[in-house]
Amino acid sequence: MNAPLSVKSSPSVPVRRKRAVWTTLEGIVYLLPSLILFSIFLFYPMLKTVYLSFYATDHQGNPVQFVGIENFVYLLKDVNFLQSIKATLLFVCYTVPASVVLALCLALMANEKLKGIGLFRTFFSSTMGMSVAASSVIWMFMYNPSIGVINKVLSLFGISDVQWLLDPKIALISVSISTIWMNIGFTFLILLGGLQNIDPTLYESARIAGVSYWYQLRKVTLPLLSPTLFFVTTVSLIHSFQTFGQIDILTKGGPMDATNVIVYSIYKDAFINYNFGSASAQAVLLFFAILVVTFLQFKFGERKVHYQ
Amino acid sequence: MKKRVSALFLFILMTLTACSSQSDEATATPSENKDGKTEVIFWHAMSGDLETVLKEIVDEFNQSHPSIEVKPIFQGTYEEALTKFNTVAGTKDAPTIMQTFEVGTKYMIDSGKIQPVQKFIDEENYDTSQWEKNIVNYYTVNGKIYSMPFNSSTPVLIYNKDAFKEAGLDPEKPPMTYSELKEAAKKLTKKQGGQTTQYGFSILNYGWFFEEMLAVQGGLYVNNENGRNGNATKAVFNGEEGLRVFDLIRDMYKEGTFYNVGQNWDDMRAAFQSKKVAMYLDSSAGVKTIIDNAPFEVGVSYLPVPDGVERQGVIIGGASLWMAKDISEKQQKAAWEFMKYLSTPEVQAKWHVKTGYFAINPAAYDEEIVKTEWEKYPQLKVTVDQLKQTKPIPATQGALITVFPESRQKVVKAMESLYQGADPEEALDRATEETNRALEMANKK
Repeated sequence: MNAPLSVKSSPSVPVRRKRAVWTTLEGIVYLLPSLILFSIFLFYPMLKTVYLSFYATDHQGNPVQFVGIENFVYLLKDVNFLQSIKATLLFVCYTVPASVVLALCLALMANEKLKGIGLFRTFFSSTMGMSVAASSVIWMFMYNPSIGVINKVLSLFGISDVQWLLDPKIALISVSISTIWMNIGFTFLILLGGLQNIDPTLYESARIAGVSYWYQLRKVTLPLLSPTLFFVTTVSLIHSFQTFGQIDILTKGGPMDATNVIVYSIYKDAFINYNFGSASAQAVLLFFAILVVTFLQFKFGERKVHYQ
Repeated sequence: MKKRVSALFLFILMTLTACSSQSDEATATPSENKDGKTEVIFWHAMSGDLETVLKEIVDEFNQSHPSIEVKPIFQGTYEEALTKFNTVAGTKDAPTIMQTFEVGTKYMIDSGKIQPVQKFIDEENYDTSQWEKNIVNYYTVNGKIYSMPFNSSTPVLIYNKDAFKEAGLDPEKPPMTYSELKEAAKKLTKKQGGQTTQYGFSILNYGWFFEEMLAVQGGLYVNNENGRNGNATKAVFNGEEGLRVFDLIRDMYKEGTFYNVGQNWDDMRAAFQSKKVAMYLDSSAGVKTIIDNAPFEVGVSYLPVPDGVERQGVIIGGASLWMAKDISEKQQKAAWEFMKYLSTPEVQAKWHVKTGYFAINPAAYDEEIVKTEWEKYPQLKVTVDQLKQTKPIPATQGALITVFPESRQKVVKAMESLYQGADPEEALDRATEETNRALEMANKK
C-alpha cells in the first residue's frame, strides 16, 4: 500500500477517502482487461450502430449524409420490415416454448436413476455439440422435396410431396422444427443440472408423505427448478430473437420473406444491399425490442420464481 | 498487493503488444514471398468441378511462370465473395485479383478500389478484337474495359431426352416457343394416383433467368438504354415482355406442369437428375457436369421465346476478373500476366470443354481438344451457337446498375408470389417499385 497507515484504530476522514479512491482504482485495474475487450467488441460497435442509424451511407459503410430519423420512419412504414417483425415473433413463439417443454420432459426422464441412463443423457444433449451450420445442412437435405428423406418416408404412407422450405406457409415451421432440435441439447443440459441440484431429502419427505408423482412434480420439482427454468427461457428467448445461421442456410429469408427474421434482414440490408444506415436502424429497433421483452420477463416472470 | 497490480499491468501490456505485433504481420502482405516469387492472391467463386478445373489451370500457370505464384482462394458464391471484398477493399488484405459476377460490374467501377485493365491493354497494345464481340460489348463501359472477362455463360434449356421419347416427343426437337414449351410440358407431366411424379418444366427462382427471358425478347431491365446511356433511374422490366414471362410461369404452375424448385441451384439440378422435372433452365456453366452425372440422355437447347416474338439473343452471364488498385506495380504486372494467360485460346479451350462456360476467345474453338469434345458432347456447341446469334442491342448488352443484388431479391420474391396465386401484373409492378426505391437511394450516394 502506498498510503502509510499511521492511525490504527479509527482512520481520519482524508485517509479513509484516500483509501476509498485507491480501492476503486484498484478495482478498475482488475476490470480493465474485460473493460477493454467489452469496449472494443461491444460498446464501440453499439455506439457506432446507433450513430450510423441516423445516416445514409456509401457502399463501404461510411456515413455520407445525415438523415435524422428518416431510416426509422421508412422502416416502420415498410411492409417488408413489418413482415420481418411478424416472422421473428412467430419464430420465437414456435421455438421457445416447444424447446423448453420438450427439453424439460427429456430432463425429467433422464433424471431417473436407471441403468444405462448416462447413454441417454449423452444422446439427449448431443445436439449441443453440433454447429448450427452442420445441422442446418443435414436438415436441408432431409427437407429437399425431390431427394429428401422426409418426403420419401411420407410417400410410403401415400402422403403427397410437401415443399417444406418452398411453401411460405410451411417454411417458417420447418425452420422452427430444425431449430428446436438444435436447441434441445443446450436446454436439456441446463435443466438436467438444475434437477440434480434439488435436495434429495425433499423427495424423501415426499415419498414418506406418500404423494403422487404429479403432485411431487408440481409442488417440489417445478418450484425448485424455477430459477433454472427462468434462466433457460430468458436465454432461449434472446437467442431465438437473434437466429441467423439456419435461416441463411435453409431458406435465405425466402420464400416471399416468410422466414426473413430481423437479424437476417439486417444482414441482407447491410452486407448484400449495402444499406448500412437502414440496417443499423433495424439493429437499434431489435435491441430495444429485446430489452423490453427481457425487462417484462424479469418484471412478471420472476415473480413466479422460487429462490431457495 | 503492489506486486500483483504491477504484474497485472505487465500482463495487459504484454497482451497489447502481442496483439499489435501480430496485426503488423497480418497487414504487411509482402509483394514477394519467401522464394522471391511475386504473389498474386486470387479470390474466386468457383465451387465443385469448376474449382478443380480452375486449380489445374492455376497450377499450370505457376509451373510455366517461375517468377509468379498465383494463389486461388474460394470465397463462396459471387454474392458472398463480393460482400467479403467490400469489407477489405482498399486495405492491405484485399486480393490482387477478384472474380465478380457480371451484375457486379457497375458496383465494382463505382467502388473506386480497382484498377481498370484498359491501362495494360493500352500499354501493350493488347488486341481485344480477338475476343468474342458480345463479351467486349458487355464489359465495355464508358469506352473502357475495366475488367478482364474470364468465365462467361449463357442460359440454356436442358431436357431429359429419354423422357421425351417416353412421352412421344421428338428428342431432337426441343420446344423453341412458349406454346411449344407448354405443349411439351403437358405431355411430360406424369401423374400417379393423386401425385405428380414428373413435372414438365421448371425455372429456378433466381433473377438472372428472368433477366435473360426479358432480354431474349428485346426487353430492357432499366431505363436509359439499360443504364448504358447514363445512370439508370427507373426499372422498366414490368412491360409486356416481363409480363409474358410471369404469365408463362403462372399459367404453367396453374396447369400443374411447372415445378417450384426454390432458389438453390443444387436443389434444381437434383430435381432434374432424380427425374422430378423433365426440362429446366440452367446456366451453360453447369452443362458438362449435368451430362456426366445424369442417368439418362441430356439435351441442350436455346432459351424459348414467346410466340411471334423475334429472338434477340442472350446476355452474357458469368464473371470477370478485377485488379486491385492500391498494390505494387509488380503485383499488378503479375496479375495482368495471369489474366492474359487465362484468355489464351489454349486455356479457354480447356476451360470450355471441361465446364461449359464458353470461350471468351473464339480462336479456342479451333483447338483440337474442342473439336474432339464437341463430337462427344454436341450439347456444348449449342451454348456457343446461341451466343453467336445474339444481336448487339442494349437489351442483350445487359443492364448496368449498382443495386442488382437487391433488385434480384425483389424479382425472386415476385416469382415466389406467383406460386401463391398472386396476380402477375401486380407482383411485377411491386418488384419494379421496390427496385425504383433502391435505385433512388443508390443515386443519392
